[in-house]
This record gives sequence, structure tokens and C-alpha cells, in this order.
Amino acid sequence: MRLLAVDSSPFGMFDYFRQHQDEVLNWLGYHAWLSAVPVVVGLLVALPLGWLAHRYRWAYPPLVTAAGLLYTIPSIALFVSIPSIIGTQILDPINVAVALTVYTVALLVRVVADGLGAVSADVAQAATAMGLTRRQRLLKVELPLAVPVIAAGVRVAVVANVSLVAVAGTIGVPNLGQLFTTGFQLSVGSPYYPPITLGIVLCVLLALAFDLFVVGATWLATPWRRAVSGS
Amino acid sequence: MIQWLNDPGNWTAPGGILDQLRAHLQYSIIALVIAVALALPVGLLIGHTGRGRWLVTVANAMRALPVVGLLILLYVMLAPHIHGKGDTVYLLPTEIVLVLLAIPPILAGTVSGVENVAPDVRDAAAAMGMRGSQVVRRVELPNALPLVFSGLRSATLQVIATATVAAYLGLGGLGRFVYDGQASQNYAERNAGAVLVALLAVAADLVLALAQRYTVSRGVSGRFPRGRTSEAADGPGGGDLRGEGGGAADGPPVTAETPPSPHTA
Amino acid sequence: MKKALTSALVAACAVALAACGSSGSSGANGLSTSGGASPSGGGSTIAAKLVLGGSPEFKTRPDGIPGLERVYGVTFGSYKTLDAGGPLTVNALKNGQIDAGDIFTTDPSIQADGFVVLQDPKNLYAAQNVLPLINKAKATPGVTSTLKAVSDTLDTSTLTTLNVHVITDKQDPAAVAQGWLTQVGLAKHGTAAQGVSVKIGSANFQENVLLAEIYAEALRDQGATVTTRLNIGSRETYIPGLKDGSIDLIPEYSGVLLQYFDPKATAVSSADVYAALQKVVPAPLTVLDQSSAQDKDAIVVTKATADKYHLTSIADLAKNG
Repeated sequence: MRLLAVDSSPFGMFDYFRQHQDEVLNWLGYHAWLSAVPVVVGLLVALPLGWLAHRYRWAYPPLVTAAGLLYTIPSIALFVSIPSIIGTQILDPINVAVALTVYTVALLVRVVADGLGAVSADVAQAATAMGLTRRQRLLKVELPLAVPVIAAGVRVAVVANVSLVAVAGTIGVPNLGQLFTTGFQLSVGSPYYPPITLGIVLCVLLALAFDLFVVGATWLATPWRRAVSGS
Repeated sequence: MIQWLNDPGNWTAPGGILDQLRAHLQYSIIALVIAVALALPVGLLIGHTGRGRWLVTVANAMRALPVVGLLILLYVMLAPHIHGKGDTVYLLPTEIVLVLLAIPPILAGTVSGVENVAPDVRDAAAAMGMRGSQVVRRVELPNALPLVFSGLRSATLQVIATATVAAYLGLGGLGRFVYDGQASQNYAERNAGAVLVALLAVAADLVLALAQRYTVSRGVSGRFPRGRTSEAADGPGGGDLRGEGGGAADGPPVTAETPPSPHTA
Repeated sequence: MKKALTSALVAACAVALAACGSSGSSGANGLSTSGGASPSGGGSTIAAKLVLGGSPEFKTRPDGIPGLERVYGVTFGSYKTLDAGGPLTVNALKNGQIDAGDIFTTDPSIQADGFVVLQDPKNLYAAQNVLPLINKAKATPGVTSTLKAVSDTLDTSTLTTLNVHVITDKQDPAAVAQGWLTQVGLAKHGTAAQGVSVKIGSANFQENVLLAEIYAEALRDQGATVTTRLNIGSRETYIPGLKDGSIDLIPEYSGVLLQYFDPKATAVSSADVYAALQKVVPAPLTVLDQSSAQDKDAIVVTKATADKYHLTSIADLAKNG
């Protein structure tokens, strides 16, 4: 009979991982997917909204306030009420993806607006003086210059998502969060650490991997920063 | 949901909205006070000396810890050691998780606030004969306050939203309605719980915005009697991004070149 | 300005300390469900001295707090909302955060920690026979007969033993399921369920995961294509999941399922519950043959509490102590 790790200490997680490799890797895959997709979609939605808030002063307060309100809704409540709002199946992972996209948009609208706003007026004027149209100025000058600020927001969003996806694990959406539920259920009387510590370690590694990816992508997207400072 | 909220019984009953509101505030305030007590002095020190910046990096890396996992881990660790009546065994893990959430934005806000103080200002203070501790208290802290507040407001929103999970461990708070409503198929109760958490977060942010208005020197905020756009105008969380993420000010790569919020401008 | 900040901090500290103090004294979060509704629940009964812990829904369920009051005249001093017979409730009972808990009768900790299950002479708790709840479209004769063989073989003591393997010994539920099926001779390969694909779900507690794995292994052996979707929260999540086709089959318990579909149900015995259940299970779903194995709710106390107040039955809680 295939036994679970008998070692109940936190270090039993290595045995636990070996014994449940397929299942855990499967959850890791889902977890990565559910954390990353909402950031991509969220960024695509937040860019035009953020631009709107930047371009038209009157649009800034309502957009940023609405985004802020969305972010205060507790995640567990959003996960369970999304199906009744958009008519999906209750166990569909898309519910989690939609909820996290909402959070990502909420987070990034302000970042995009402020990032665009932080581009110095001189630079914008120089671009105009060089004959760039408004759209060219946005795409070729303002947006690239706002990349570092936007990237900072994206890093926060993707790391936060990794943590939030795990919450969805407690309501049966397959992801690393199920390791926590399992470990919890088996910690009757005395603690059974392996699945819990394994879940935490994998979540942290996943978050760090995403973070590094965004840092790398930012580095590639901002060659002028390297040219100047080499940092 | 509106109906559920309109029922006065749901407000005043034992374990009703008022009780849970108080509990929710209690969990949040305890966590925030501890986080400020830890992060503010450390942040001032890092900003002043320029040493120990790695602490900010470590604090930011803590954001990667999954809240549920940490909560379960801490509970499971503590449970065999805490006996007898009372909520300590549930309160301790919850508060630790909330404090860990609140530290990074406050620390990052404080550090970048101090770092953003113009060198001239600091030099002037030194030239006036101020000692290091005087510079920190009378020059750097006041000048850093807008960013300290933006970190605090970010932390507050995050803590209030996350305090919902206290109910997962059998504590009270507004999360009680979310979990109980879900468990007993009372969706009006569940949704009302979620809305109440959001409202509480907004209310807390407004209070902090007001506190910011009265504590930040007008010389720093640039808000003169008939000033430019006021702080309050940029809505809840005006100081910064909110929630489980925080924003540019407290985001991982805080550098002087990424203007974290309009307040520094 | 500095002064303002300092005084704000001091004030905040004071508030927090005051809050700390009140939390310490209030203990269990004061969700005394008796409220003002039952003034008769005087302070002199044994129950009034005790804290009961259990699931959120136990507060309002007809056989929860209201049932205890109605059937036994038992009103606990306060109620602590924890989880449905899970680690929170069991650990709280063991470590003294609560005096009595709503725990399930097949829980290994009852044996391991020497808890006392209070008898239920007035049958407040209905029969809870294990049975498959399935989407009618998947209930082919082959699937039905395969699961009937499982139900016929499983009994309460077997289920309790298997729970010990999974929960206490931390064995893999799938392996325990396979081992048991082999041991009782049900792991024979056949073709009864060939061509059927079934998505099997489970609630988020270990016994239910184990039962789901038993169903899954048995159906696989009979040629069905099986996928599992385990640890799906509670009934409020997975019943809609069954209805919308996210899953096709889940192990259930007769009494609590009857109450879910018909909150006013009064059936108590296994046969009555099963008969009533067949009438109320809504359209795309149906229940298959039930097992004799039962996992019931029970009011459980520690040995020390039972000795102190001479408790053997729920009715004893209503006595003056």
C-alpha cells in the first residue's frame, strides 16, 4: 500500500511531494495559470482605462475610486458570487480568473494613470515638437517611459494573485490551496505539516518566479535605462 | 441583501452586525498598531542611515506568502499548545498574518518617504546644528509623512479586507456573515457581509485621509489655503494603491525614480 | 505636527489595548443563539455552563441548536462557530476551547482522544447512511450494480477503521480505497461500466474523499472512465456543481441530504429517510442504493466533562447541575 509521508514534521514535505508528484504538479500548473492569465487580461483592460484617467482629469477620481472599491471586496465572497453574476458553472476555474482580473484591473488602473502622469512635461513637449501625433506620442514616448512604474504595479499584482488563488483552493478549485485544506483536515489532534509547508514553499517559489519574469521583461523593455546607469 | 441589511434585528442581535463590526475593527486596529510600531521606527532608521535596505526587500518578499496557508500553518502549530477557554488560539494566527500583511507597505512607504527628502533640506538641518535623532524627528519624519500615510492607508485597506479570514478560523468579524451566509445558503447575508467589509475599508480610508490632512504640514503637501487639488479629492486610498497589493509606493522596486504617488509631486 | 502624530499613536494603542482586554473576557465570540427567544433557558442547567462548538450551519439547522432546544430542552451557555466536525472543532474540544462539539460518529479522534458520544434517545439526529448521489444520465445499470456492491459491503465499523488509516495514519485515500476493495474481493476487473465516463466529486473532509476514491476505483475496475474532483467545499458548492454537470457523482449521507432538499423533513429511521429522500431529490439527480454504513452527527464531550456532570445522553444536559 502506498503510504503517505509518515514524517509529520515540516520537512516531511519532500517525501510528500515525491508521493503526490502528479497531483501536486497538476495543482502547480493550475495555480500558475490562474495567477498569470488575470494579470495579462487585467493589464490589457487597465491600460486604456488608466490612459482615460490620465488623459481626462474628470475621469480620474471616479475611475480610481471605483477601482479602489472593487479591491476592498473580500476575495472569498467574490469567488462564490461570480457564478451568479456572469452565469458560469459554480466550479468553473474561470470564476477565479474573472475575480482576479477584477482585482488586477482595480490595482493597475491607478498605476497606469500615475505612470503616464509621471512622464515629464518636457519630454512630452519635445515629442510634440518633433512632430509626433498624440497617438504616436502615447505609444512611442509616454507608454515606454511609464513601463517601470507600470511594471512595479504588475509585480505587486502577480504576487498578490498567487496568494489569492490559494484562497480559491479552499472552495474546491484545483490549485495549491488544496494542499492547505488537506493538511488542515489531517491536523486533527496533532499537526501534520508536510502538505501545508509544501504548499507555502511552492506558492512562494511561484511568486518569485513570476516576479523575476516581470523584472526580466522590464529590463528588456527599457534599454535606455541600462545605457545610462548600467543598473 | 438590502432587506437583510434593513432588518434591525440583524444589527443589534448578539453576534449581529454591530458586534461583528466591532470585532472586525478590533482585529484590524490591533494588527495596524503593531505593524506601525514595528515598521515606522525601522523604516525611519533605514531611510536615515541608508543601511539595511535589504529589510525592505525581505518585507516585500513576505507578500508572496499565501495568506490561507500561513493562517492554517500558524493555527496548526499553536493549537496543541493553547488550552482552555478563549479565542487566543484563533486570534494569534490571525493577528500575525494581518501584521505581516501590514508591515511591507508601511515600511516601504516610510523608507522611500525619508529617502525622497531633498538632500538640501537634510543638509540645512545639519547645518543648523541638529543631531541625527533631531533630523529624523523634526525634518525627515514630517517630510516623509505623505508617503508614510500612503503606506498606512494601503496597509489598512489590505488588513480590513483580509480580516475577513478571521471567520475561517472560527473568530468573529464581518467575515462571519460571508462564511455563515455561504454555509447556510443565505446569500443575502453573504453578500451583505462582503459589502459591509468594503464599506468599512472605505470609511477607514476616509478617516486616515482626514488624519493625513491634519498631520501633514502644508509646506510638505503643497496644500495652501485655496490650494490645488486636495488630498480628499482623489478618493479612497488616495495616498496610494490599495489592497492585497499596495502600489507603486510600496511595490517591490521602490526607487527614487519611480514617483510612487502624486503626493510627492 | 509631531505631537499630533504621537498622540494619535498613543490613542490608537489605548484603543487596541482596550479591545484586547474585551476580547480576552468575552471568550467565545458570544454567539449565544438562544438570544432573547427562549427565556426559559435558565442558567442552572448543565448545558448552560457549557460552550458548544460546531459548524456555521448548526446554529440554524432544524436538528442543530433549534433541535436541541425543541427536542431536549437543551440550551448551551454559548455557541462557538467552528467547522463541520473538522480539525477546528475536534482540536477545540480536545484543548478545552469548547466543552461539547458537534462531531461525526466515525471520526477517529473519538477513539483516540477518549471522547464520549452522548446518546440520542429521542432521535434528534436522523439516519445518515452513506449513498451515491448521481446524475441520472450516468446511472446506467452497470454503474448502479457496481456501486450497489460497494454499498452492500461497507458498514459503519469498516468506515471508521478506514478513516483511522487515512486521518490518523496519514495513508493516501486512493491507496486505502484500493486496499479495501482488494481485501473484500471487489477489485475484480469487469466491463459492467464500460463506455461510461464519470466525474466524481467529494466534499472537503477526508472520509468523503476516501468514499469518492472507493467509488472511483470500483468504477474504474469495471471499465468506466473516471476523473475525480476532490475537496470541493461543502454541499452549498457541490450540489449546484452536480446540477450544472461540473461533476456527476458524489458520496452523500442520507439524513443530511434529505434535510438539504426538504428542511421540514421529519423522517428518522434509515428506511424512512431513504424513502423520503427518493421523493425529494430534484430532477437531474438521483440516489442509488444506500449502505448500512452511517456517519451521524453527535454531541460529543470529553471524558472529563462526561464524568464531572455524569453525562451519557443529550437529555442529561438539560438537568440541573
